[in-house]
Amino acid sequence: MATSFCSSISMQARVSATRTRFCLQKQVLVSNNGKSNNNNLSFSLRRSMPARLAVSCAAKQETVEKVSEIVKKQLSLTDDQKVTAGTKFTELGADSLDTVEIVMGLEEEFGITMAEERAKEIATVQQAAELIEELVQEKTT
Amino acid sequence: MRTSFMSQMQRSFSIELPKLVPLQLPSRMETHLWYVLPDEVKSTSLLKHYSQLLSPSEKDKVLQMRGDELQKNALLARTLVRTTIARYQTNNAVDPRTLMFKKNMYGKPEVDWQNYKNCNDPPLHFNISHTDSLVACGVTVHVPVGIDLEDKERKIKHDVLTLAERFYSTDEVKFLSTIPDPEVQRKEFIKLWTLKEAYVKALGKGFSAAPFNTFTIQSTAGTNGGYNLCKEKTEECNRDWKFGLLELAGSHYAAICTENDQANGGAPMRVIVRKTIPFVEDGLISESIFL
Repeated sequence: MATSFCSSISMQARVSATRTRFCLQKQVLVSNNGKSNNNNLSFSLRRSMPARLAVSCAAKQETVEKVSEIVKKQLSLTDDQKVTAGTKFTELGADSLDTVEIVMGLEEEFGITMAEERAKEIATVQQAAELIEELVQEKTT
Repeated sequence: MRTSFMSQMQRSFSIELPKLVPLQLPSRMETHLWYVLPDEVKSTSLLKHYSQLLSPSEKDKVLQMRGDELQKNALLARTLVRTTIARYQTNNAVDPRTLMFKKNMYGKPEVDWQNYKNCNDPPLHFNISHTDSLVACGVTVHVPVGIDLEDKERKIKHDVLTLAERFYSTDEVKFLSTIPDPEVQRKEFIKLWTLKEAYVKALGKGFSAAPFNTFTIQSTAGTNGGYNLCKEKTEECNRDWKFGLLELAGSHYAAICTENDQANGGAPMRVIVRKTIPFVEDGLISESIFL
């Protein structure tokens, strides 16, 4: 079984006045028998840090994919309209009502609530995924 | 192999087009509403001409749209803004390509008049909105304007009352929950959406300046198409802003919000609606049905 590994460590620092979160993320690609395979295993190593200190990082691939699915459904996209982490909702023709429905879809999927001001600041799939992970994390800590 | 919309533009021949027909400015009492139906604009050479009016950054933005239809509508939106504003410049013929735009500190687009030192015309305000099938631009003088469009038949994928409870004010939720027919309820939800959105856009201070659940827009019984804007907590209603809601092209709700100019004594909104194909034709829509 041929396996190839591709690992990358991505870290994004964002410091806010009140608190920041630190997280180290590793992405590992596994392929079987030379067949291309879309399994992405991502490991996130979270160190417990003092509550005040943390740095938020790029969202997990899995979250990005779930967000993309919800966006595609809400906007009734065709197959040739590709959605990636960096895609802006406006580039897909989403108007403000679409964005609100996307936010509701995300809230339902992930069991979270987004404050309206933060929800309206979301412009890309990546930003939505990051906010979701932040809110999910808050729920569980 | 599919070619992109813009590369088709590059390859078609451009035709000689007539000059833009000048327009008379709106009076202080009026809002001018211009719209384009993308389905009526099919000529590739006309679209190529339009693409030549855009600034490099506008062209980039058009290209970033994912899909041919979306690119075409983005192109039409910028073309509508540039040609319409250029036509109102009564003193000197203004080439729509030379217009410059900037954003206010909250991100609302406005015309940058720095190159037109001799411009004696009163300041023009504009705002655009578009859906899959309609592109519109509202124009006023002296007072800020905001417009919003929605397709009347637009499907809401979530429960309307759940959405309202989440985003609208208490009084608006009450109003919507008294409507027994779900289809009528959906339509009223959308009408309210366009009115609220038009207000936020007219205000021009970004979403956080006026979250939807902090204000109520209610129709004023007895007046022809009038609405009141009231604050959620205090229930104070102010007359600083005027609203109009129209049906456009038989298919859309169009909401318009303008600042109430003391000079016109709070008269009801007057809207002149015109359908256009830039450089080709204008049509005056004589019946504006206020809803």
